[in-house]
Amino acid sequence: MISFADLLLAFVFLSVLVSLASNRLMELVKIMAFQGVIVSIIPLALAHGSGIKAEGWEFLTATLLIKGLIMPMALYIAVKKVANRREVEPYVSYNASIFIGLLITMAASLISHRLSPSMPAADTLLLPAGLTTVGAGFFLMMTRHKAITQVIGYLMLENGIYLLGTAMARKTHFQHILEFGVLLDLLAGVMIMGIILYHINRTFDDVDTGILRSLKD
Amino acid sequence: MLEIVILIPLLSGVAAFFLPPRPGRVTLLAAGVLHLAASIAALSGFLPAMLPLYFTLTPLGGLVLVITSFLYCMTAIYTVSYMNEIEMHAEPAFNGSMLLFLTAMSMAAIADHIIVLWIAIEATTLTSAPLILLHKSKGALEAAWKYVLICSVGIALALLSAFFLILAMNQGGVQVPLNYNSLNGVAASLNPLWLKAAFIFAVIGYGTKMGLAPMHTWLPDAHSEAVSPASALLSGALLNCAFLGVYKTHVLLTSAGIGRFSDHILMIFGLFSILVAGVFILHQSDYKRLLAYSSIENMGIIAFGSGLGGLGAIGAVIHMIHHSLIKSSLFLTSGNILLGYGSKQIKQTRGMIRLLPGTAAAFFSGFTAISGLPPFGLVVSELFIILGALRSHHPVAIIIFISGLLLVFSGACRHILPMTFGSTETKADDLLVADRPARLLPSYTLLAVSIFLTFWMPERLWEIIRQAAVLMGGAHG
Repeated sequence: MISFADLLLAFVFLSVLVSLASNRLMELVKIMAFQGVIVSIIPLALAHGSGIKAEGWEFLTATLLIKGLIMPMALYIAVKKVANRREVEPYVSYNASIFIGLLITMAASLISHRLSPSMPAADTLLLPAGLTTVGAGFFLMMTRHKAITQVIGYLMLENGIYLLGTAMARKTHFQHILEFGVLLDLLAGVMIMGIILYHINRTFDDVDTGILRSLKD
Repeated sequence: MLEIVILIPLLSGVAAFFLPPRPGRVTLLAAGVLHLAASIAALSGFLPAMLPLYFTLTPLGGLVLVITSFLYCMTAIYTVSYMNEIEMHAEPAFNGSMLLFLTAMSMAAIADHIIVLWIAIEATTLTSAPLILLHKSKGALEAAWKYVLICSVGIALALLSAFFLILAMNQGGVQVPLNYNSLNGVAASLNPLWLKAAFIFAVIGYGTKMGLAPMHTWLPDAHSEAVSPASALLSGALLNCAFLGVYKTHVLLTSAGIGRFSDHILMIFGLFSILVAGVFILHQSDYKRLLAYSSIENMGIIAFGSGLGGLGAIGAVIHMIHHSLIKSSLFLTSGNILLGYGSKQIKQTRGMIRLLPGTAAAFFSGFTAISGLPPFGLVVSELFIILGALRSHHPVAIIIFISGLLLVFSGACRHILPMTFGSTETKADDLLVADRPARLLPSYTLLAVSIFLTFWMPERLWEIIRQAAVLMGGAHG
């Protein structure tokens, strides 16, 4: 039988593949919002409604707000204000991107299979989902022209690391205040990237990273 | 309470955002002096931590804290005079960011909890990005973008390293608080495989921030495009904080008895960084980038020394202290050159000895110091490292190490000698800004402290250096 957590994790895989195929920036932002929501409620699904304490709920709400609402909103505003052309403009074609996405998924499954004996008994899909998301995040950052897609790739990478953290460190309940600190750093990071992006756009009239190549040796 | 070293700059930093420039500059200075007093009190053991779960003053952490604080004070004195010469349209934001940057670095220096250290080091990236951005020139924007993105991704990988450590605990059936101090006590029962994985990711993650090649690509851009006082802090203080992240994981592996693994990785990254820096210095055309590459070289030396253990580890700690003092002095001086000539190009800044004698003297002494010539401290640390390598029988490593140092030295000579003594068409009247004592004093003071520490090392300081080195398998002899 498919558990609720498995269903959510399947959505994570799906969101990764769709993000690699999407050619509109707005679409990408929506996918990130979707992925943010899914990723933040996965710990809830894994706990089977039993193991979450009061402050756990508070943290869950905070994660959901930041990953599912505030950061996608920031991206939304950035895309509206900054991007002149709304296409993603990849270095690697969409079809090839999807194919590479599938390869990443395969590699992630293989690695997880090798690692699983030494992992805490968690959901079998959790580890491959985390690895796939990290890999796809890196791939997005490397193969898209626009600076804003690099921010999106970075967010996806962070989502993946969050999943891996859930897979590896779930038994050790490290204090939520610290998780909150991590989340706050992430949020501030995205905000600062947004500010830099805004200035880049004003100065260069474009957010293509191709023009950011003047400093080199 | 130890946490006061975080609170002082945090509160004054938030205040500085809302203060007009003049009171802002006073805050910048006053907070620095207070912070230095608190840091020295902390290093002397007068300030026990209120939250020992999160914060502890380790020997190396204490050193980093005091160095950071001292550099900050010198930089603040310099900044006050520097701000008179340039037009900074967002000075409150600059003052506030400087203080928040100090907050984040102090937090990193005293953090002992795995996640708190991570949060602090990521915070150093975020608080220092505005310092690079504030120029708003095309170069500054590009540098700030690369800096934030590359370092954030790097540090995201360091978070994975933290998860691997937790996994190593769970696998070993260890139940202790998640701080390095408690983990060191039970290191032997941690799962060695995951411990090694944690180290690899810590080197990649924190190593990115520390400027180890090949993850160093952000560093020359950020250091050269930042406002000069900020460059001094980035190079002299921030890189040490990032080194703490690598160091603490290295200490864990050493106490777990698998230190050989991390030793080798550190030595390889160290030597590679030295060579990469040497190659790029050879054909450098921008003197601030040259200094930035020299930072990469020195971080490589520190990593190499840490990997050697024994005398090498002592050398690494001493090297860290002197590199911070000397390099920040050089970056402050380079700010004077930039103000005077209005150019960062080596070709256009010749003949300083005639045009800016005070600056030229500081710059050339700094160059002598950073090349590891007496009477400055790097000669001691490099000798320690070479002796350490001889004792532990690494003949190939010594050859690479010494040829790397020679490569950097000869490359830098090629550029620095004409800059200082070369003949030039420029006349004294063409200079934009003349030397000012307030902008020279900090550079001279930093160099003087380096000389002072070479000839007279306080007993207490030596003891702290030794303890820091012993933790990573150092000392014996």
